[in-house]
Amino acid sequence: MELQLELALSSSSARGSDPNQDCERRRKRSFDAAFLGIMGSVGAPQTSPLLIWDDKEQINGELHDQKRIYDLATSNRNGRVEDDVLVGWPPVKSWRKQFRHHSRRDCATNYVDVENGSGGGGGGRGLNSMYVKVKMEGVGIGRKVDLSIHRSYQTLIAKLIAMFGKFEDNAETYKLTYQDMEGDWLLAGDMPWETFVHSAQRLKLQKNGY
Amino acid sequence: MAYSFPEEVLEHVFSFLSSDRDRNAVSLVCKSWYEIERWCRRRIFIGNCYAVSPDIVIRRFPEVRALEMKGKPHFADFNLVPEGWGGYVHPWIRAMSAAYPLLEEIKLKRMVVTDESLELIARSFKNFKVLVLSSCEGFTTDGLASIAANCRNLRELDLRESEVEDLSGHWLSHFPDNCTSLVSLNMSCLGSEVSFSALERLVARCPNLRTLRLNRAVPLEKLPNLLHRAPQLVELGTGAYSAEIRSDIFSNLTEAFSVCKQLKGLSGFWDAIPAFLPAMYSVCSGITSLNLSYATIQSPDLVKLVSQCRNLQRLWVLDYIEDTGLEALAASCKDLQELRVFPSDPFGAEPNVALTEQGLVSVSEGCPKLQSVLYFCRQMSNAALVTIARNRPEMIRFRLCIIEPQAPDYLTLEPLDTGFGAIVENCKELRRLSMSGLLTDKVFEYIGNHAKKLEMLSIAFAGDSDLGLHHVLSGCESLRKLEIRDCPFGDKALLANAAKLETMRSLWMSSCSVSFGACKLLGQKMPRLNVEVIDERGPPDSRPESCPVEKLYVYRTVAGRRADMPGFVWKMDGDKALSADGSGNKPREVVERLGSSYAINFCTWLSYSLQSVPNTDARIITCMGQRNLFC
Repeated sequence: MELQLELALSSSSARGSDPNQDCERRRKRSFDAAFLGIMGSVGAPQTSPLLIWDDKEQINGELHDQKRIYDLATSNRNGRVEDDVLVGWPPVKSWRKQFRHHSRRDCATNYVDVENGSGGGGGGRGLNSMYVKVKMEGVGIGRKVDLSIHRSYQTLIAKLIAMFGKFEDNAETYKLTYQDMEGDWLLAGDMPWETFVHSAQRLKLQKNGY
Repeated sequence: MAYSFPEEVLEHVFSFLSSDRDRNAVSLVCKSWYEIERWCRRRIFIGNCYAVSPDIVIRRFPEVRALEMKGKPHFADFNLVPEGWGGYVHPWIRAMSAAYPLLEEIKLKRMVVTDESLELIARSFKNFKVLVLSSCEGFTTDGLASIAANCRNLRELDLRESEVEDLSGHWLSHFPDNCTSLVSLNMSCLGSEVSFSALERLVARCPNLRTLRLNRAVPLEKLPNLLHRAPQLVELGTGAYSAEIRSDIFSNLTEAFSVCKQLKGLSGFWDAIPAFLPAMYSVCSGITSLNLSYATIQSPDLVKLVSQCRNLQRLWVLDYIEDTGLEALAASCKDLQELRVFPSDPFGAEPNVALTEQGLVSVSEGCPKLQSVLYFCRQMSNAALVTIARNRPEMIRFRLCIIEPQAPDYLTLEPLDTGFGAIVENCKELRRLSMSGLLTDKVFEYIGNHAKKLEMLSIAFAGDSDLGLHHVLSGCESLRKLEIRDCPFGDKALLANAAKLETMRSLWMSSCSVSFGACKLLGQKMPRLNVEVIDERGPPDSRPESCPVEKLYVYRTVAGRRADMPGFVWKMDGDKALSADGSGNKPREVVERLGSSYAINFCTWLSYSLQSVPNTDARIITCMGQRNLFC
C-alpha cells in the first residue's frame, strides 16, 4: 500500500468518519492554507493529519508487514538481555522488589522464633536455605543450588561446574552472572560474598565474549 | 457589565473557584476578568514540567502561592527512562525564588531535586509550609536538614517513595526547638536511623501533627513512646513491625494504640510479625486505609486483621492474602473502594501463592463500592473479567497485570479481548486502564468504541498492527496520557492521528515500530509538540530512516525545545521558522502573529482553541493565545 503522506484539512478524521470521501476534495490544499484556513471556518478544530487512514487497506494488507517490521525491531532492541528478562516487567517499582525479598528471608527466621519461643534459629536448615535457579548458556535444563551452604565465590563456582559436568574442561571460558533484586543482570564477584548471597535471585553461567 | 462590579468584588467571587477548569473558563470571558483572575490565581498545577516554561507561568500569574508539578513519564517508575533524562526542578525554583517570595507550597512528582534546590527553597520562601516530593530523586539528607532548619512555619514534609541519598539521620535534629507547626511528616523512604529523642521531642511539641510515617529504622519497642506523645494522630506509618516476642512490648503497644482514637490510616509494617498484630485491634474499627504491602504476613493472619476493619475503604496488600483472604475481605469490608494486590515474587515463573483471578472476582461481587483496582496475578480468564465488569459498572481505575507477558485466557487459550472489552463497555466512567495478557487489535476496537471517559491507558505486549493504535487515538475522546511498550505499532496510526496528540498531555512508545523518518515528519509538521527520540544506540541519523527508534516521547508544549536534553535524547525539529530555542520565544511569536491577524475572528479562535485543547493542563496554553487577542 502506498503511504499517502498528505496534509489535507480534515475536520472529521479524528471523529471516525470515512476519510476516503474527503480525501480527493482536500488533496489540493497546502499546509499553510490548511492551517491558517482554520481561522475562517467555525467548528473545524483539528490540524491536519499527516497521513490519511484508509480503513480497507490497513486492515487487509498490513498485518504481515507490520509483524515483520516488529520482528526486525525486536532484534535491534536494547535492554533485552535474554528471553526471560525484560526491563521494567512486571511493572513493579524497584523499592518494592527490594523490601519484599529481604523481608521474606527474615520472615522465615522470625516465624521460627515465634514457634520455638526462643531466640535461636533452631527451626532447621530448611527454612534458612537459599535455593536459586542456575542456567548455563547452551544447556536446556537448569539446576538449583543452595547459596546458604557456600562461603565464597570459589566454592560456588566449583559446585556449579561440577553440576554441569561436561564443561569442566572449559571452566575458564564461562563467567558467572546473577540477577539482582531490581531485575538487573550483573557479573558476580564485585560484591562481598554475604551481600551477593542476599541479592542474587538467579544465576547464569555465560560464555565469555558475550 | 463587568464595569458595574469593582475589581475587589470580582476577586472575592473568584476566590471561591478552586478548579483550574473553572478559573480558565472565567479568564476567557473578557479582558478585565482575565486580568483580575490572573492576579488572584494562587494554585498552579503543571502536569508536564516541559509543557510550559517558568517565565511564561510567572508572567501570567504573578501571585502564585502553591505549585504542583510532574516531570518524568510514568514508565520511569519501571526503569524505562534512562538516567539523566531530565525533569530538573532547579530552573523553576530559581525563577520562583525571585518572583514568588510568598510561595508556600511545592508538590513535585518524578522530578530531579537537588540539595541546591532544597537550600534555595529554604532560603527564599519565608512563609514556606508544604513540601511534598513524590518519587523524586537527586537530593540527600543534607538538603532535608536545610528545610528542617530554615522553614519556620513548615507544616508538611512528605518524601513519599523518593530516592534520597541517606548520609545520616542527623537531618531531623535540625528542626529548631521552636518549631511546633508540623502537621504531616513522611520519612518512610529513608534508611538511616534518626535520633529517637529528637523525633520524640519533635512529635511532642507539634500539637497539630496528624500524619506521621516513620521509616524502617524506628524500632517497634519505641513506637508506644511516640503514640503517647501524639494520640491525635490520624495517619500512622509504623517502622519495622518486629521485635523480640516479649509480653511487655506487646502490652505497651496495645495500650499505646488504644489511646489513639482518631487513627484512620495505617502503613509501614516492615518485617511484620503476626504475633504483634493483635496489638492494634482496638483501632481497627476506625481504620479506613490500610497499607500492608510491605508485610510478608500470610493469609490466615491477614484475614484476622482485615476482618476487624469493617470500615475499610482502601487496602494495599501482598498476594500472600490469596484467594481465601480476598473472599474474607469481600465478606467483611463492605465499604471497600480501592484494592491493590502486589506480587511477592514478581520474577518467579511459578506461582508461590494461591492467588488467582478468583480473588478479584470475589471482591468485585462482595464490595459494592469497589471503584479502583490494581491487581497482579498469574492467570486470568475472559469469564472472570466479564463477571467483574458486570458486577462493578462504576469502576473508575482498573489496572491488571498478568505477570507472564501475552498470557492468554487460561481456560480457553483465547486472547483476553472479550474480557477487557466487557470492562470498557460496562464501566462507562472508566478513567484509567492498564492491560496485560494476550490481546489483539480487537480489544483496541472495543476501547476506541466504548472508553469515552478514559484518560490514561497503559499497554504492553499487545495488539497486532497499527489498526490497534488507530482505534485508540481516533476513538478515545478523553485520552490524556497514553503509554505503550513492546507493541507492533508503527508509523501509520501515529501520523494519521497526529492532531490528536495536541489534545493529550503525552504519548510514550518504547520498543515499538515507529521509524525515525516518521518521528522526523511528526516533529516537522507539529510545531506545538515536542517529539523526542530516546535512543542509547547513538544518533538516529546514523541509521536508516526506516529503522525503528528505541523510545519515543511526544508531548504538547508552548515552551518549545527544552534546553536540558542529555546526549541520548533528540528532538525532532521542524521548520527553521518554527523551531524553538530553550526560552520558548518562537512559538509564542507564532501564536501572537496568528492572534493579531485574526483579531476580528476572536470568537473563532476561541472555539478553535477550546476544541483542540480541552484538558486542564493545556488551558494555560490556550489562554496564552487569548492574551494577545485582547491587546
